[in-house]
Amino acid sequence: MQELAKIYGETLLLDKKFSYCPGCGHGIVTRLVAEAIEALGIRKRTISVVGIGCGGFSHHYMEIDAIEAMHGRAPAVAVGYKVAKPENIVYTYQGDGDCSAIGLAELLHTANRGMPVTCFMINNNLFGMTGGQMSPSTLEGQITSTTPNGRDVHQHGYPLRVPEMMADMHGAKYVARESVCDAKSIRKAASSVRKALDCQMKGLGFSFVEFIVPCPTGLKLSVPDSYKWNKEKMVEYFKPQIFKNEMEQNDEN
Amino acid sequence: MKSEPLFLKNAQTFAEAMVRCGVRYHFAYPITPATEVMKHTAVILPQYGGRMVQMESELAVSNALAGCACTGKLGATSTSGPGMSLMQETMSYMAGGELPCIMLDAMRVGPGDGDIVGAQSNYFQATRGGGHGDYRVIVLAPASGQEIVDIMPDAVKLAYTYRTPVLFVIDGVTCTMTESALFPEAHDYASEFDTSSWAFTGTGDHPKRYLLTGSYTHSQGEELNEKLLAKYELIKEKEQLWEEIEVEDADVVLVAFGIHGRMGQDLVANMRAEGKKVGLIRPISLWPFPDKAFEGLSDSVKSMLVVEMNHGQMVDDVRLAVNGRIPVHFLGKTGGDMPLCTLAEMTAKINTLL
Repeated sequence: MQELAKIYGETLLLDKKFSYCPGCGHGIVTRLVAEAIEALGIRKRTISVVGIGCGGFSHHYMEIDAIEAMHGRAPAVAVGYKVAKPENIVYTYQGDGDCSAIGLAELLHTANRGMPVTCFMINNNLFGMTGGQMSPSTLEGQITSTTPNGRDVHQHGYPLRVPEMMADMHGAKYVARESVCDAKSIRKAASSVRKALDCQMKGLGFSFVEFIVPCPTGLKLSVPDSYKWNKEKMVEYFKPQIFKNEMEQNDEN
Repeated sequence: MKSEPLFLKNAQTFAEAMVRCGVRYHFAYPITPATEVMKHTAVILPQYGGRMVQMESELAVSNALAGCACTGKLGATSTSGPGMSLMQETMSYMAGGELPCIMLDAMRVGPGDGDIVGAQSNYFQATRGGGHGDYRVIVLAPASGQEIVDIMPDAVKLAYTYRTPVLFVIDGVTCTMTESALFPEAHDYASEFDTSSWAFTGTGDHPKRYLLTGSYTHSQGEELNEKLLAKYELIKEKEQLWEEIEVEDADVVLVAFGIHGRMGQDLVANMRAEGKKVGLIRPISLWPFPDKAFEGLSDSVKSMLVVEMNHGQMVDDVRLAVNGRIPVHFLGKTGGDMPLCTLAEMTAKINTLL
């Protein structure tokens, strides 16, 4: 373990056992966030505000202070924190249910407020912790435990695209959607995590990254099949892209 | 800021008092009659290096307040009836998370959207908790602008000493009344408390710390509740506040808080002048309820009258406090053009008990 710490630094707690299910996309995103914190040298002044759901576990694997918020309210907690302690770096880590169902108002107003905080939305397109119910981002026709005949858009509405709603907000300075379905996508996602936190460090405004991740347990698929399903179905509707990058004029993307 | 008398609406007095005692961040959403507080802090807080932050809802308000409290700094909010209902989830959260803050419920008529006229109909919500779980918050009910000023330093000290939300419940009549109050020199009481042992300020000077809102093991949940229970027992023992007037030889004791308690001061003076033995107990802390005020009542007390701007809420606590020893009567009114019981109505009722 000591040698791994030499490579990965102090942020990621490598001796902690994951409580994520095997193959869960949270494991990848949690590691990307920890690596970005380490690389940016902000561990000692970074606070994670986690949502309710599997994403709530993410801070367990990092040596940083954390606040577990009530369901959906993490962005509001982050705003209050940042108002009182602007020198610290505060990010939220929430699932798609926490972020885009119960907490959509707090998220969008936080984006529009333009305060330099960062929100990470880990979209596995269902409620994972409670056992695979429909979330706002469940695809049309997708079978879940609460849509046994598939999501009927006339009854449940359409899969909700969140960063698209922020793209026109002046307060949002970095807005991206990434995927973790293959190595190339993960490299891009790593870059977006760093940029989102860097955006906050520079005090430019709100930053947001959505991650399309598989939930093999909720999807009732094998791990390889869940990644394949994500790559073929999810990414088709939720297209990874940088919606906005107003960090620097000559910045990439 | 030096000691000075100010002639203000009591909602503004609340704003002045909390800022002068150390509140630096005020999160709020407009609602009558509490809006006056945020209008005032929007003007004065920048002078103290602070901010009023208008949020998009009371849900966001209370959670931003929780985020602020996590830094160890003192934040506040102010709202009225329906807004208070929306904050109940966070009240439970902040009580469980042991986060200090100052809150105000400028009480108006309910249920539902109710009416903007003053009331005391949130006594149950304030003292029993509208949120989930076994929790309590300290509830204070000053009855005048001066008492708001006088009690604010204690409120800040209580919030940090016990690491708990401190909730002011002030009826809308008192809140919208304009009167003078003498402010002592401004003093930041919050900064006197060392929060470094618990605040979530980053791992620069402490190992990882996190605010746990749920229990990952059943024993963790039990431990948290036992810790909270011990704290609540200590508060009940040490922090009961009340005013009492001429109860020693009274035949009838009036029990009222807020504006009715203030009217009771006149009532006792008037009736004593007529030779009628009437006394007053005016609870100032509603939780902990001042049970001690009732423990020592003499055998002369034949009956008690509880007067409230509701249909009978605090009266339950008075009945529990006297535990059947003394008959307890009730007079109350809520809503309409005149939510108060008049002095004449209160006097007439007491005359039937003498």
